[in-house]
Amino acid sequence: MANRELIDRLRAITGHDYVVDDLAGLIAFEYDGSVDRSLPSAVVLPASTDEVSGVLKAARDHGATIVARGAGTGLSGGSIPEQGSLVMSLTRMNRILEIDPENRLAVVEPGVVNLDLSLVVAEHDLYYAPDPSSQQACTIGGNVAENSGGPHCLAYGVTTNHVLGIEAVLADGSVAWFGGRTAEIPGYDLRGILIGSEGTLALVTKIIVRLLRRPESVRTMLAVYSALDEASAAVSDVIGSGIVPAAMEMMDDLAIAAVEPAVQAGYPAGAAAVLLVEVDGLAESVTEEAEMIESVMARHSPLEIRTAQDAEERMRLWAGRKGALGALGRLAPNYYLIDGTIPRTRLVEVMARIKEISAESGFPIANVLHAGDGNLHPSILFDERKPGETERVLDIGGQILKLCVDVGGVLSGEHGIGIEKREYMPYMFTEADMRAMAALKPAFDTRDALNPGKIFPQGSAAGELAQLGPVARTGPGAYL
Amino acid sequence: MSEVPDPEPVHTQVTGPGAVLESIGDGSVTAPLPHHEIDGLTPGTVFVPGSAEALCAALVACSSERLAAVPIGGGTRISIGETPERYDVAIRTAGLADMVAHNHADLTATVQAGVTISALQAALARHGQFVSIDTPLPDRATVGGTLALGTSGPSRWHGWGIRDVVIGMKVASPQGELTSSGGQVVKNVSGYDMSRMHIGGLGTLGVIAEISLKLTPLPAGQATMLASFRRPADAFAAGKSIFHGLAWPLATTLLSPVAAQKLRLVRKGSHHLAVRVHGRPGTLARMVDEISAACRDNDPLELDRLDGDDHEGIWRAIADFGWDEATRPTASLRISLPPAAAGDVLASLESAGAARGLLPAVVAHVAYGSVLLHLYSPSPQADTGTIAQVIADARRLSRQRRGSAVLEQASPEVKRGIDVWDGAGEALSVMRRLKDQYDPQRVLNPGRFVGGI
Repeated sequence: MANRELIDRLRAITGHDYVVDDLAGLIAFEYDGSVDRSLPSAVVLPASTDEVSGVLKAARDHGATIVARGAGTGLSGGSIPEQGSLVMSLTRMNRILEIDPENRLAVVEPGVVNLDLSLVVAEHDLYYAPDPSSQQACTIGGNVAENSGGPHCLAYGVTTNHVLGIEAVLADGSVAWFGGRTAEIPGYDLRGILIGSEGTLALVTKIIVRLLRRPESVRTMLAVYSALDEASAAVSDVIGSGIVPAAMEMMDDLAIAAVEPAVQAGYPAGAAAVLLVEVDGLAESVTEEAEMIESVMARHSPLEIRTAQDAEERMRLWAGRKGALGALGRLAPNYYLIDGTIPRTRLVEVMARIKEISAESGFPIANVLHAGDGNLHPSILFDERKPGETERVLDIGGQILKLCVDVGGVLSGEHGIGIEKREYMPYMFTEADMRAMAALKPAFDTRDALNPGKIFPQGSAAGELAQLGPVARTGPGAYL
Repeated sequence: MSEVPDPEPVHTQVTGPGAVLESIGDGSVTAPLPHHEIDGLTPGTVFVPGSAEALCAALVACSSERLAAVPIGGGTRISIGETPERYDVAIRTAGLADMVAHNHADLTATVQAGVTISALQAALARHGQFVSIDTPLPDRATVGGTLALGTSGPSRWHGWGIRDVVIGMKVASPQGELTSSGGQVVKNVSGYDMSRMHIGGLGTLGVIAEISLKLTPLPAGQATMLASFRRPADAFAAGKSIFHGLAWPLATTLLSPVAAQKLRLVRKGSHHLAVRVHGRPGTLARMVDEISAACRDNDPLELDRLDGDDHEGIWRAIADFGWDEATRPTASLRISLPPAAAGDVLASLESAGAARGLLPAVVAHVAYGSVLLHLYSPSPQADTGTIAQVIADARRLSRQRRGSAVLEQASPEVKRGIDVWDGAGEALSVMRRLKDQYDPQRVLNPGRFVGGI
């Protein structure tokens, strides 16, 4: 529990009801999309930049640390207050402050739900491109913290490619704009540094996002393969042929088996893998690209290639993809979702190796991936009630991440490092690399008050892995 | 793989502080060339490292000898920035010119900083790919130098700026450490994105040594729609309608009469609009229709389609404009605005220049809010005060519309009285702390960046 004086001061800033300090209330803020739990000392829900600034000054005066939180859908423990920090929930700051169709931008508060922005700007024929699978729940502030992706980031880029400016409050309570309404601004690109910094450098209070024109035409195709190798090769081949679809997703047999009974997306039983491919743009461009993609996918002996005939069928195909993770609960009590990216040319061998790891270990692994980006999401199915399973599953997760790095890939494609992967950072970066990164922190946050302990390894790498324990699992209702 | 078309450097015997660089094995010490000069200052020594390790060794030497080092790529836009406080050593990246990897099947590439943009694009084109970086004088401009400046040219795939195509970077610190961030995959959130400090950082926090890039398939076909109009408002209205339309061209560029004349566009009317369309045959034809319709709605005097060399040539000329010898202005401003605001300032910018006896050429990249104002003085001895006045007027106009105006070219006399960067706002204190963190001895480019960094 935070000390009385701090609580009183916070209540003076936000009003009594917007500071939570009773146990029942705090429990609601102890988790995120992983199943790690840690109680905050208090939760404060500011409603404005001024209040955020006031809270940070109060925290400074009391030596408290702060963890920012959006919708709590994160998958790497980024919003877990593991040191008993004060949690700042930004969900009350959920106003769309300005829609500027003339300049194709919007100014939003961090608590605006991702999908809501696209729904609201649709009347101007505009949309916000980054579309994490959690977009019905996750906030744009959270997306900025994680530099979130989503299926349609394949063609259009991730959050950082769509944010022009950020108003943020530093740990000392000072407020500054980083970037603005224009594509170029003199000075260092601090906007770009803040995006993906997992709430460790500053707290974002306003975001100026670039909006895109809604495409004239969209086509969604489902390609069904009897062999995982063929599906993987088809993905590599499409990209290698010089076509970048709007989205290119893959699901393997286990994922299909889980989702089809739940969602009835229309994925055929018995398929080893399906590819869900979407192209959008001018009608002519959609026709031309779809034909080319179809002919490349056809080279890999598909059982079937089907094009959604109407919006309803298209939505159903996507519902299967977006509901996949939730459906895994039908197959096992627990799953550990892994997020890594590999070069797209290595898909065949890495997917095959993941199947081998599954066979060797005896743990089923379901795969749902942003295949076009090479962004893998293997989910290891297990039962935490069986002694030793959790530890073994974590070890397998580590093996898969190491495999990603070994083939030229990275530790995280879109979920961030947070708590979950901080001990793996030395797989990818040298001491000097990490030292250079860590040197950023004091330039923004001079007293290490914001989300302390995240991203970087806590001690010597390997020995600490065991301590991750229950952290590195993903809870029910998570998204990918 | 890169060709560096500079004159052959002359090896000289260096004495004094620069002598320490002589002891670095993998590199050469040369005499300064004219394009190493910045605002009348010439470095005592030019060092050309032959490897990233030699680059690090040179930086260690500069740090220990307290020498101010200026990293130089092709030297094509060396005028950008404040006059350096000190300029002891130029570190040319011409020796770091390896194409490290082109993973064409993966649409990524890794190159050393000294590779020229032309050499890179030529290598990528062999596999039908390109990187969305458009820059003046690409035969000389290097990847590292272009990224250190951070500004984008007329043609941008999906509207991306050059910062949007970088996926990984290796940087040499002033302490001589080579560190990596990012990776060689297109989607990555592993650790802080350190490349952001260096893209547009003018080499003030480290020297970019190696870059990994996200590539794009070359469009199957390209063409230019070129229209001319009676009034600037018509040209801008056509550009705006294209920006809001369904076609997503690579570039939509408005040219004022002086700009059009300098680019030797012989068309009726005053203001011109050039639009770069692309795609497979059906898409290209549709884009041409969309662009033509947007132009016709705004009363064009002429409307043509350019293909082949004419198409390529106009975009090369537009990107080079103001930087090649033939079109080099007396002073040049780069103005960034919200896109719709550019229309309001076009006429004012032109009249602000003309009213003071200067020839103003305006180039506006309509979809990106990027406006370049090149000022030409009719007399060889331009009056410093007059130019400063026009710059102040232009800056006031852009600030009123929540934009900024960076002075990219001017004589040292004009620069002396002006903040060339137009400030960095509230974020400046963080920027200064970054400099203190990464280059506390102020070895790299001292005084050239925002706020005297």
